[in-house]
Amino acid sequence: MREAKNSLGVIFFPAFDWCISPTHPEREERLLYTQDQLKEEGLFDIEGIVEHKPGVAAREDVERVHFCFPELESVATRSHMVAAGGTMTAADIVMTGRAQKAFALVRPPGHHARKVVHGSRGFCNINIEAVMVEHLRERYGKRRIAIVDTDCHHGDGTQDIYWHDPDVLFISLHQDGRTLYPGTGFPQECGGPRALGRTINIPLPPGTGDEGYMTAMERVVMPILRDFAPEVVINSAGQDNHFTDPITNMNLTALGYARLTDMLGADIAVLEGGYSIQGALPYVNLGICLSMAGMDYSGVREPGFDVVRHGQRPQVAEYVDKLCDAIPDIYFNPPKLAPGKGERIEGDWFVRDKNIYYDTDAITEAQTESLFLCDSCRGVLKVVSRSTKNPDCLGVEIPLHACPACRERGLAIYDEGQARGGYRYCQLIDRPGGRCLRSGF
Amino acid sequence: MYLGIDVGGTHTDAVALDESGVAAQVKVRTNHQDLLASIIEALEGILEVVPARDVAQLNLSTTLSTNAIVQGKLEDVGLLVTPGPGINADEFMLCRDYHVLGGSIDHRGSEIERLDEDAASEAIAACRKAGVRMFGCVGKFSTRNPLHENTLRQMLGPEGGEIADSVTLGHELGGRLNFPRRLATAYFNCAVWRVFGAFADAVEQSLARLGLAHVRVNTLKADGGTFPLAQARRMPVQSIFSGPAASVMGIIALCDITLDSVILDIGGTTTDIAVFVDGQPLVEHDGINIGSHPTLVRALKVRSIGIGGDSAIGVLGEVVRVGPNRLGPSQADCVAEGCPCADDARPTLLDALNYVGLADHGNVAASRQAVEAFARCHSIGPAVLAERAVTAAAGAIHAATRELIAEINDKPVYTIHELLEGRRVAPKRVYVMGGPAQAMKEPLRRRFELFTVVPEHAGVANAIGAALTRNTASLELFADTEKGVMFIPALGHRENVPRVYSLKDAERDALNHLLGHLAEMGVIADGDNAQINNASSFNMVSDGVTTGRNIRVKCQIKPGVAFTLTGGGR
Repeated sequence: MREAKNSLGVIFFPAFDWCISPTHPEREERLLYTQDQLKEEGLFDIEGIVEHKPGVAAREDVERVHFCFPELESVATRSHMVAAGGTMTAADIVMTGRAQKAFALVRPPGHHARKVVHGSRGFCNINIEAVMVEHLRERYGKRRIAIVDTDCHHGDGTQDIYWHDPDVLFISLHQDGRTLYPGTGFPQECGGPRALGRTINIPLPPGTGDEGYMTAMERVVMPILRDFAPEVVINSAGQDNHFTDPITNMNLTALGYARLTDMLGADIAVLEGGYSIQGALPYVNLGICLSMAGMDYSGVREPGFDVVRHGQRPQVAEYVDKLCDAIPDIYFNPPKLAPGKGERIEGDWFVRDKNIYYDTDAITEAQTESLFLCDSCRGVLKVVSRSTKNPDCLGVEIPLHACPACRERGLAIYDEGQARGGYRYCQLIDRPGGRCLRSGF
Repeated sequence: MYLGIDVGGTHTDAVALDESGVAAQVKVRTNHQDLLASIIEALEGILEVVPARDVAQLNLSTTLSTNAIVQGKLEDVGLLVTPGPGINADEFMLCRDYHVLGGSIDHRGSEIERLDEDAASEAIAACRKAGVRMFGCVGKFSTRNPLHENTLRQMLGPEGGEIADSVTLGHELGGRLNFPRRLATAYFNCAVWRVFGAFADAVEQSLARLGLAHVRVNTLKADGGTFPLAQARRMPVQSIFSGPAASVMGIIALCDITLDSVILDIGGTTTDIAVFVDGQPLVEHDGINIGSHPTLVRALKVRSIGIGGDSAIGVLGEVVRVGPNRLGPSQADCVAEGCPCADDARPTLLDALNYVGLADHGNVAASRQAVEAFARCHSIGPAVLAERAVTAAAGAIHAATRELIAEINDKPVYTIHELLEGRRVAPKRVYVMGGPAQAMKEPLRRRFELFTVVPEHAGVANAIGAALTRNTASLELFADTEKGVMFIPALGHRENVPRVYSLKDAERDALNHLLGHLAEMGVIADGDNAQINNASSFNMVSDGVTTGRNIRVKCQIKPGVAFTLTGGGR
């Protein structure tokens, strides 16, 4: 009787038996009411909308993305592997044509997980979008991919992983880092020396509502996406920008989210944060599902919206307008390479120092990341990291499509690191060779 | 003595039996214009052998409600609907007198918007003007809080009163969440209410006339259970599509099933495939579809494919196929002994089975002739054609079964434990019944490579199943200790509970209410057959503090038979 315009696969996995701690926002109850709402709406009885079981990510699926120190098992639980597997299932569904679009409604989230993982940051251990992106590349040969992160928090993990990748366009719309965790995501953060303008940050002021988000979508996100012309568009669909969210200050509504989803037209959406589990998630997720399926979402309305309290103020609109004037230029005319604070050029290497705090696990990490400035490929990446949990660790990544010289260079650095680098753990991601190596266990 | 009558598409089967075995069995043609006449004819046949006073119980599986729906003999229904926000409710418009009213309840059962009583009064007035006497009141999340449905019920007055002859409330259809299904189920329940009531009256009168007034009458449901006729009058929609369930229950009565198994009921036009897990039939996750409308009517998981004894054999290039179309009965059945069959006679699976010698049914010569003629047309050897047809039929049944098993194993789960360590269904045995069961046994065994059983009495297994099926019932309990309420939608039971109310308390209450409800209907259910299907308790946290528990319990009287007739298979 009812039919979806676009077929949609929904990977719904609420992990009803997993939590960070019993009263943590990331707990068993998180998707309970969403499930109730989707069931009560009869969503999966709609012709074309099918519920799927998630797959489970394998070790190599994660190891081709992250340097996990000391090893994968100590930073990722089974639930992380299932969440990552869920995103891969979403990719499989779309790539094999079983559905035109897919939505991975899985937990826990992943967009704060960086290239190097010592533990959990912002409730994230494994970057589930990145696992999916690399799966899309490895299995389906995709290259140009866009990730639009609409979570209220800056997707600093995803940004870090794709900082040097010119084939991944990462756009994050989030609450201004001066007012919210993780405190990053400013427009001048626009990508590494070989991928300038491929990271776009849109820090929105607290109190941004539907109108502000739509302005940013229309004036910044969509023109850039059209120009970049990716093969696959992914939405990191965090839902903590809702006006009822307990840990953020934005005023987006479920209907606004559905419109945003509609405009973006992502092939695959992945749930990220969102902790207003009763007041927002049931409605926002319904809105996203209907919107992705090309159905009428105009009736999706959550209780409690008060125009006076939650309406967007005029000053916010003005500010957003100014942002939208400036930001597209970063993509269309990226700045010239100029080392910033904590960055320097050492010979053929571009080096930056980073200090990272893992808030969920209370770990501090000091990292030196070096990119070889190669003229014929993305360049080999070398990361030296030490944290309050682990002594010196080495990670070497030879990226996909690396030139033979860079591959040799990467292998040599890894061998040397093992032989006399003084590293406790070494990891190698050798994408051209299709393998990941570890030593030091 | 237990009586079972299965009114099927072609035949009406009846049996009388007790622990010592089948005392009488009757097969009559079903008269679709007058189902009652078929039932009486079958009963009279039984009573020729069995004295009326020995009969204690009659279980009836009837297509009455199904036929009424299929033939569109549906009464006008007034639907009073409170959909609240979400998917546009106009999409579910099932009938002319469909009134969407303001008012909404959320997933926790909190009233978000009051019921628009003025609009409700107007809607009721409009229905009265249109001459509507059947009402369904359905709200979104009414299984969490039935406030609006109950208010509408009040406004409609008593059943049989000035406004309504019958009122179906959405939450009474069960506690599962699915508003569109609730709506469709309520609609069909209203729409067949009167015709089922009249039928029940007629059955009771006929029984009295036949000296069977003392007999307990139950109606079969699609979920492999029965419910008393009085209950069926209230919820006639539950009686639809009970045919496949009767057959499945028949197998339980005839065989001792303990392993994961596949049940194949091969009929004239279709084969029904059912799956047993740990010796119990699997129940459909959501509910069956009536036409294009998904409903909440629980049913055994049965997959039907268009392959039966009368399925036509076709040849496409090199490939021999069977079904899914049926071009009339087999030549073995329709050609009289000694007569030649028509030149363009199309052989069926049964003819092929006759040809290869697996069956010896009806006019075997006609089967041979038809297969030979058809083989000549397609330049294949007749033996090859027949052999391939049989193999194709077994192959198609096997493929459909595999698909069904895969679907069962792919069912979404919601915990890491189930996902990583969940039990997978892997059939160890195949049970075959229906007309061509014995003939298809060997080809199926070869294809499935599993131990294959054809039980005794396989031909009337459906009526045996009907006769021996026990009462079943199920209910869902929902408790919210922050609000301090417990609610059992199916019974309309709502009570206050203390903050310390736990999952254990909820499980106990659910089972007690289930057994109590059956006792009220005059059914003595064995507590051992009551089981908890699902029980979960979530801590609800607000601002970092646990505020209560959200508890859900689902329980049922598991489907089963009064006793078994395990004489062993052939």
